[in-house]
Amino acid sequence: MANNIMLYWGSGSPPCWRVQVVLEEKRLQGYQNKLLSFDKGEHKSPEVLAINPRGQVPTFKHGDIILNESIGICLYLEDLFKSEGVQLMPDDPREKAIILQRSLESNNIFQKIGDIACYNEMVPENERSEAGLQRLKDALSLELKLWEGYAAKMGTESYVAGKNFTMADAVIFPLVALVFRFGASQTKYPYLAAYYNLVKNRPSIQATWPPHWKENPNKGDMLKNV
Amino acid sequence: MASSIVLYWGSGSPPCWRVQVVLEEKKLQGYRSKLLSFEKGEHKSPEVLAINPRGQLPTFKHGDIVLNESFGACLYLEDVFKSQGVQLMPDDPREKALVLQRMFESDNLTRKIGDVAHYNRDVPENERSEAGLQRLKDGLTTELKIWEGYAEKMGTESFVAGKNFTVADAVIFPVVAILFRLGVSQEKYPHLAAYYSLVKERPSIQATWPPHWKENPNKGDMLKNV
Repeated sequence: MANNIMLYWGSGSPPCWRVQVVLEEKRLQGYQNKLLSFDKGEHKSPEVLAINPRGQVPTFKHGDIILNESIGICLYLEDLFKSEGVQLMPDDPREKAIILQRSLESNNIFQKIGDIACYNEMVPENERSEAGLQRLKDALSLELKLWEGYAAKMGTESYVAGKNFTMADAVIFPLVALVFRFGASQTKYPYLAAYYNLVKNRPSIQATWPPHWKENPNKGDMLKNV
Repeated sequence: MASSIVLYWGSGSPPCWRVQVVLEEKKLQGYRSKLLSFEKGEHKSPEVLAINPRGQLPTFKHGDIVLNESFGACLYLEDVFKSQGVQLMPDDPREKALVLQRMFESDNLTRKIGDVAHYNRDVPENERSEAGLQRLKDGLTTELKIWEGYAEKMGTESFVAGKNFTVADAVIFPVVAILFRLGVSQEKYPHLAAYYSLVKERPSIQATWPPHWKENPNKGDMLKNV
């Protein structure tokens, strides 16, 4: 039942957003949820740490079953609620393989965005340098080029794994959205932009759009030159 | 059929080893196996790049289906060959959740080992420092304490997700094995050591033990102080 699902989440966090998308697609909209503020350090609160010692979001409970890894949660929900809502993992082995391939491969994007976005947080001041940060930006550029290539092969009316929206889109769309939110150029990555524009209007995506992005639609520019 | 499976792998690489363990457990021993040398750069050969543009291992094909993400290959194999060999993903939601949790969570451990082991490869000389490397070693120590805690809670006759060997063990054992291979102290992490000693005797693990570790059983000492 939806009401014995509890999701702790942060606005704009792709690992949280993807779980929310899956919950919508599986018709589990009645779930309990708590929006936490990263700025106020609420992800490190005793309430969260009691469930997730890593103090990270998403933190997720189904009854007293705990699962705090976003792709794990997506797989779990699709499996348990297989007959409800939209089928996010096809039975066909070929389609299943491409979904698993792209979903897991997308961690490369997430890592590389995080390396840049969290640079000052993760690298002590005496180890930081312009060259160091630029190296990370160059790595993200290379990564985005690879995904632009995948998107070009997909075609403009296609989802990650083909004609249908699948778990791969739930996992990957939030990352693409974040990249453009942070100022990546839609002219430089036209196929990723086409994918973004195709998927952003899907009801489950609209229903879970990060609240603080709605309040402040202005893009950042951290990634404008990648 | 096993003969339509091809695995390109490198000796001692945990992502490769875990796929080999799953192939053994699913009774797919007839697969075509291609051992490549990282040192000779064979993972960047045209043959591999044609299947895996990232030039990484494992690179995996089932017929013409390509899946180059180790978790993806493991989950795919368990799903497609569900009725064969050992059941590696439980049906029970609680057990399933724990398998997925630990499996995905283990990426933290794998990455932090890589950060230390690949420091000179990944960080340009002018950005390296003793302090920088020590910071990464400290990160690994913190992570190891988490896993030692999990192993202690599991008890000495237990696998990662409970009484039975699952895909979580296929994923995690190779990572634990590489820790001790690189010199981590079994005295400092006695519960991880107990897990290592329990699982290393399993036939699928023995059958896939890294060949160059057999040739040279001497441990390294890169991680002896973490």
